[in-house]
Amino acid sequence: MATNKPSRQNSDIVNKMDQQLETKNCAAASKNNSGALDPEPPTIPKRRQELLKWNGWGYKDSKFFVNKDGHVEFTGERYRISGSTMPAMREWMIKTIGVSLDHKAPAQPDICAANIPLPIKNDGFLSELRKTSISHSDDCQDRLFRAHGHTLHEIFLLREGKFERIPDIVVWPVCHDEVVKIVQLACKHNVVIIPFGGGTSVSNALECPMEEKRMIVSLDTSQMNRILWVDEKNMTMRAECGIIGQDLERKLAERGLCTGHEPDSMEFSSLGGWVATRASGMKKNIYGNIEDLLVHVKMVTPRGVMEKNCQVPRMSSGLDIHHFILGSEGTLGVVSEVTLKVRPLPQCKKYGSIVFPDFECGVNCMREVAKQRCAPASIRLMDNEQFQFGHALKVESNSILANFMDGLKKLYITKLKGFDPMKMAVATLLFEGTKEEVAALEKRVYEIAAKFRGIPGGADNGERGYMLTFVIAYIRDIGFDYYVVAESFETSVPWDRCLDLCQNVKERLHRECKDNNIQFPPYVTCRVTQTYDAGACIYFYFAFNYRGISNPVSLYEHIESCAREEILANGGSISHHHGVGKIRKRWLRKTVGDIGLGAMQSVKQYIDPNNIFGNNNLMMGHNLSDGATPAQEPSNVMLPSKL
Amino acid sequence: MFWNMDYDPKLVSARQKDMFEDILEDRRHSSDLRYSLKTRDVTMFKLNKPRAPMQIKEHVMKSDRVNFAIDQTCMDTKLPREEVVAEALSILDEMAHNLRTGAVRGFAFFLIKVMKSLYRRIYVNVDGIQKIRGLIKEYPILLMPSHRSYMDFLLMSYVFYNYDLPLPVIAAAMDFMGMKFFGWLLRNSGAFYIRRSFGDDHLYWAIFTEYVQCQICNGDNPIEFYVEGTRSRTAKSYTPKFGMLSAALEPYFKSHIPDIMVVPVSISYDRILEESLYAYELLGVPKPKESTSGLLKARKILEEDFGNIHIFFGQPISIRKYSEGFVDRSLHNLAPRYIASLTNQEQDLIKKLGHHMVLTQQKHMVVSPWSLMASVLMQSQGGVSLRQLAKEVEWVKRQASNLGAYCDWPASESAESVLRANLKLHQNIVRVSQEDVVELVRVAPPVHAKATDALMITAGQHLMLSLYRNHILHVFVRPAMIAISVNTCNEERLSIDDLFTKYTFLEKLLCKDFVFIPENTKADFDLALLTLTHTCGVVMEDNQVIIAKSTNKHTTFYSHLFEPFLLGYWILCQYLLSNHPNVAGKPLAKTQKNLVKEAQMLTARLLQEGVVKHYEMLSLDMMSNGLHALFAMGGVSKERRDGVVYMYPNTRQLSTITDQLAKFVDVPPLPSVSINLHSKMITVNAKL
Repeated sequence: MATNKPSRQNSDIVNKMDQQLETKNCAAASKNNSGALDPEPPTIPKRRQELLKWNGWGYKDSKFFVNKDGHVEFTGERYRISGSTMPAMREWMIKTIGVSLDHKAPAQPDICAANIPLPIKNDGFLSELRKTSISHSDDCQDRLFRAHGHTLHEIFLLREGKFERIPDIVVWPVCHDEVVKIVQLACKHNVVIIPFGGGTSVSNALECPMEEKRMIVSLDTSQMNRILWVDEKNMTMRAECGIIGQDLERKLAERGLCTGHEPDSMEFSSLGGWVATRASGMKKNIYGNIEDLLVHVKMVTPRGVMEKNCQVPRMSSGLDIHHFILGSEGTLGVVSEVTLKVRPLPQCKKYGSIVFPDFECGVNCMREVAKQRCAPASIRLMDNEQFQFGHALKVESNSILANFMDGLKKLYITKLKGFDPMKMAVATLLFEGTKEEVAALEKRVYEIAAKFRGIPGGADNGERGYMLTFVIAYIRDIGFDYYVVAESFETSVPWDRCLDLCQNVKERLHRECKDNNIQFPPYVTCRVTQTYDAGACIYFYFAFNYRGISNPVSLYEHIESCAREEILANGGSISHHHGVGKIRKRWLRKTVGDIGLGAMQSVKQYIDPNNIFGNNNLMMGHNLSDGATPAQEPSNVMLPSKL
Repeated sequence: MFWNMDYDPKLVSARQKDMFEDILEDRRHSSDLRYSLKTRDVTMFKLNKPRAPMQIKEHVMKSDRVNFAIDQTCMDTKLPREEVVAEALSILDEMAHNLRTGAVRGFAFFLIKVMKSLYRRIYVNVDGIQKIRGLIKEYPILLMPSHRSYMDFLLMSYVFYNYDLPLPVIAAAMDFMGMKFFGWLLRNSGAFYIRRSFGDDHLYWAIFTEYVQCQICNGDNPIEFYVEGTRSRTAKSYTPKFGMLSAALEPYFKSHIPDIMVVPVSISYDRILEESLYAYELLGVPKPKESTSGLLKARKILEEDFGNIHIFFGQPISIRKYSEGFVDRSLHNLAPRYIASLTNQEQDLIKKLGHHMVLTQQKHMVVSPWSLMASVLMQSQGGVSLRQLAKEVEWVKRQASNLGAYCDWPASESAESVLRANLKLHQNIVRVSQEDVVELVRVAPPVHAKATDALMITAGQHLMLSLYRNHILHVFVRPAMIAISVNTCNEERLSIDDLFTKYTFLEKLLCKDFVFIPENTKADFDLALLTLTHTCGVVMEDNQVIIAKSTNKHTTFYSHLFEPFLLGYWILCQYLLSNHPNVAGKPLAKTQKNLVKEAQMLTARLLQEGVVKHYEMLSLDMMSNGLHALFAMGGVSKERRDGVVYMYPNTRQLSTITDQLAKFVDVPPLPSVSINLHSKMITVNAKL
């Protein structure tokens, strides 16, 4: 975990939770939150822009910049690399993506009120809202903050442009009942609701539909951040939807528990958001993905509250309504409360890494590990480009011994083992469990690795690999400063196509950059981030230097969609965990077929006939009757072939 | 003076011309041994993992595809697995090449000797080579040369050796394998052998597919194969075959690799090595079995002059770009990729690409003066004066150029000397008499033909000449179908629609002898009509052809060019129709081979009786193509008996086709008796 700050006021939280066990009364809760009894402010303030960057990733105090010596440095105190210099980084930026420190592209200082569209006001809704005690705001900056997620397009707009359509009001319910109230009012007055959790979406899911003429309410769940109860008999806990990942884990840790759900965005993303997008956590090998963790969920829809009547490990009760909610991306309602499984905190946590002569050996090893079902909490394989990038991010070390050891390691791997530093790939590992379990698993994994010519590369490399995950999002912002646009995208793929997919997608990206006259070689890299019985999850980073190009964002989007086409053609999926949103909508029909899409639309039609949850994600806007399929498809059948 | 003082137009050699350069000249002035030992700095495909031929075999035997096929075979045949594996191994051993540098150098040494003695110059378009050089690092490459001689295969390897490109591995027919030393040499120089037909042998298919595909995916070497399937014996392009092409492109459709580059190559010969063998093979004399001793006996041809060769490397086609928007590769997501399957989109695309490749090969063929001469000579069998020939050839040359053909005509020489040089090159076929009349000479039949029959010898002569005329027929075939329709029209005017109907009928009829892109008839027609109107061959008013004004030298010449084909088909139809329904109420079904043979006998008889006069109609190839076209048009049906295909006419349908056909060509009145083949009147040499 990146931000292990000492927790404040342990006893207070326990008290608070105990109170919740007695009363789930909403009024009490809100009093509790605002009252003097509970001095802890929510981790995410209502005015998020006071803590978080308004036009980039993460905390305002944490960012990469080029210091006076011309070296890349990371500011702040929150992360392990905070306050450190990365001497190799500048060289890497110049060599790999053709950055020139003389060519800067600073962002616009702000988007001031004059450039923010006027709110559309539904007077009936507003006057009834005012009669409740629900906190709300139509402040320009509050509304702007909730108009976007973190796709390249959105951040670029914040840096260089303005938004045509943003939410007209922000509301902060503090409990389930307030959510119900808001939804009721919205239905009554035909107002659109877009739920907003952590705001870390990378699928354009938060973007307000340009053509929406009704008032848009951004329902910010950040104030619904309580753990309602913990049930250690059944090892479950219930929390409100707005609690963010790091808070949830921190608070559970005080009781010696954890959910184990750690998506890369866990510093900012919320419990409700995870459910609504079918999130996946880094340690899913032990704890499972969100759908495996979920025991119960309550969703407020325009028709009413949808939930199951019991909290059981499994049941056969027809179509599983949980699976309507998981991945509904805010199109059906707001998730208000969630029950997840919890586990005892692991006794032992250990990083590790394996160096492979090339990516192919690495993938084959991952496959074998998956086959033997002995994957540690996390196992990830970085390709050579990412390995080199990780190297460039190494912080300056003043210890002679550390430098000496690094030198020795390098010598051993390249000279004695004959690995080519331009081909090597590295797997990073995270083991969790009892000491014995970890030791046994370590032994087993390294034994398998040896069969694929992998040699242990030390805990340090492993830990740095995971750290990279949290800071890589910050790197995009410094890229922007130097004419580099960058984005990540992901997919899942069967094992047999894993290598081909990586190779072909990379090849396609390079080819498209060439064909689109991008002068500098792009940076393309991938890693295998999750293993399953039947396949893997693959994560790509793609960046290019756009000096000399007038429309970097649309060009980026064009190339990314080529890459997605390539992914689909290679047996990959539309998304492993980022979701569909609006950015990947065009491939949904192909993914689930006409019937699948029609079924989704029917559910939507029943639950939300007036499209109150009108964020326009997923199945919305596909026209089923009109040219149901592209002309060539129906005639396309597999023919027996002699081949 | 801005040019060299020693400059003399007469002394400029033909080493370079247009886009071509001669690659033999340097070899004539330097050591062949040093050449064959030169260091070769060869670029490799970037995703290539270097491996030896043995490792390729290992890969194939370990592959999912082959193991799947082995399991299937075990289940089907109930044979123990070891036996099937052993069979698979023997198939693979029979197939696999063993490309080795040592052998390649020996091969190069041998090749250069042969090339120098057979040919004057070997021209290559350097530009095309440069393109390939640029692509080799980035893409797996498929080379698809035209195939009109055994030399094709040697030439390609030679050119790649010469330009320091990785040597291609070549899909070769089994014929060579039996040859003692030569078969070994070829195998070690990159030939791999495939059976000509292996129908439903799944194990063979699997091994063959995996063998080809794994080499494409790893980009070991460029893969060379003939889209026409076999050597064209007629010097016309054969219609494309799709088996090998499908196998080669499947890795792209199944996303094993990002892309494949397909390169069409056109190889044009001034004189084809196998000319007389082909002529007699077309008549039905089986070709001698390839053997090393045969090859040695053929040494005397090394003393002969075979003129120049032009090799043109066409624009490479990226299969990714070519298929963009036409195929959806994700349809293969629902089954493991080792199970063979292609979608119908992909099969259509492969068909289209196959045709496209053949047409591209044709487009870049170089037309020699001799081909132009042959097209005139074929129409003036009684002999023609040299002056008249020069005049006619000049006219045909202009037309061919207008239709986009590249004519290899030396600018610095007089027409007469060009003609004389070509007559000399082909003195085994033609000669100039003392009165300056060009006439055919009696060609001595090849030894193995044992032919004595006069008809056969004359036919052989004509067929040899026809090979060279055939070389340019593709240039004229589309306008000719319009010309024929116009020339045989009895009205004053012909509407475009009617013309198109006629054109469509002719295309169906000719579609096995000539290559047309499927479903492209209208576009072809429009282009051909436009060309004809622009060259004043056809005169149009209000979307109608004015027949009187359009019956001129153009249309007449074009019609005559193709008359033998139409007449040949007509005789075939007559023969098939004479095959009356017998007592069973159904015409007697016969094998295709028999039908073709008997149609040939009828032709022979009609020739002997002087009813018809085109000897080339004795070509079994023409009859067989006609038969296939009739089958496609519904005039003939197929039936499988004991695994053998039998064919029989659909009398009604066939009569309609025959009547229609008769409108396009002057048909002779047929004495009814001559049709009866079963009478003892046939005096054709039984060898036919």
